[in-house]
Amino acid sequence: MTVSTYFQPDSLPEALALLGEHGPDLLVIAGGTVAMPLINEGISLPAKVMGLRRVGLGGIEQRGDRLAIGAMATLTALTTLQEVPLLAEAARHTASWAVRNMGTVGGNLFTPPPGGDVATALLALDAQVELVGPAGARLLPLSGFWTGFMTTAAGPDELVARIVVPVAPGRHAFVKLGRKAANTPAVVTVAVRAAMDGEAVRDVRIALGAAGPHPLRSAGAEAAVEGRALTPEVIASAAGAAAEDAQPFSDQVASTWYRRRMVGVMVGRALAQLASAEQRGA
Amino acid sequence: MASVVVAFELGGRPVEVLVSPLATLQQVLRTQLGHTSVKDGCRQGGCGSCTVLLDGEPVLSCLLPVEDVAGRRVTTLEDLTPVDGLTTVQRAFLDANGFQCGYCTPGMELVTKALLERNPAPTRADIAEALSGNVCRCTGYVPIIAAVEAAAAAGSAAAVVASEGATR
Repeated sequence: MTVSTYFQPDSLPEALALLGEHGPDLLVIAGGTVAMPLINEGISLPAKVMGLRRVGLGGIEQRGDRLAIGAMATLTALTTLQEVPLLAEAARHTASWAVRNMGTVGGNLFTPPPGGDVATALLALDAQVELVGPAGARLLPLSGFWTGFMTTAAGPDELVARIVVPVAPGRHAFVKLGRKAANTPAVVTVAVRAAMDGEAVRDVRIALGAAGPHPLRSAGAEAAVEGRALTPEVIASAAGAAAEDAQPFSDQVASTWYRRRMVGVMVGRALAQLASAEQRGA
Repeated sequence: MASVVVAFELGGRPVEVLVSPLATLQQVLRTQLGHTSVKDGCRQGGCGSCTVLLDGEPVLSCLLPVEDVAGRRVTTLEDLTPVDGLTTVQRAFLDANGFQCGYCTPGMELVTKALLERNPAPTRADIAEALSGNVCRCTGYVPIIAAVEAAAAAGSAAAVVASEGATR
């Protein structure tokens, strides 16, 4: 163990001050479920670590027609979130009970592929990220948060403080394919959120997880279904477009070829679910 | 590397330990406090053999800096086991042959206890989901799930006896 100091700030201002003082030498951890394995294994050898469990960002509060979820809210806290059932469903399908008790919603944004099922759901929900730094707070659409594999638009002196999620009526679907039923990394995760105008789909957002360097939306699939009824032909065309939009990778879970095939299959299943869903709120 | 003192509650008693920064709760419980039911497994959060209860909730002690549990309540299998016997859950695992080598058993039993506190009559699917973070390489899980079902049945029988006793 090479860690010389473990900082445990008691407030967000204190955490930002430490980040400003120690800069890139400081490894920031939230729930620790991604960072601690790397430290235990000796792959990551940070000299200085800052833990955020005491900064007071674990709460979830209503902000008008939005929900502001503290970055340190646990995945377990999300599983019972009735206002946003898509998010609750994604959290329930993430990792194991003990990991959900530790892992956080903020941390999930930084989870390397194929993780980030909650982040995929947040993308379908058109969530915003509240970043806080020395200059104050700013809201960034989640769709502009990821800039590449493990890179984000957060500045080196900023921390993710909250995730802001719209609460609106509509339908949702969540489909995760793994190699087993529970506690499993994704082959592919699909999260869909839409308003309905009679039979027609409006304002649809189709997010893919484990299908690129970060969760991404399929513009092709969204264009294929927007304003249309979800007939088998429309669903098939959207599934094909999603498979083309995906930027899959190979790892120990699945190959590039298989992931691309499964993106199509799972988007098809998600849209079929959406078509048959009798739902209130997403 | 300045060591720090961390105070928390272990099995209902206050403890204080001197640790190096970012030492894990798993290391401290096993090597400094003698709670050897807390296994040193994968150290990746993948096997569940280091599971403990933190304020009653299952967590993986190998992923938890001990400094994060300052002032909080930690429970291991040692803390639950009566001096002169076994808990209902332990008895059920023993009777159902719910283990062979036993390495996963403390984690399995702590998760079982936490599950039955929240859901006294779990389905097999509930049990499998709750235990999905606890790996057993011996049993094939069938006797473990049977043990949890037996513990649930014994627990509800005990609850009936207790409530009948209370009404008399």
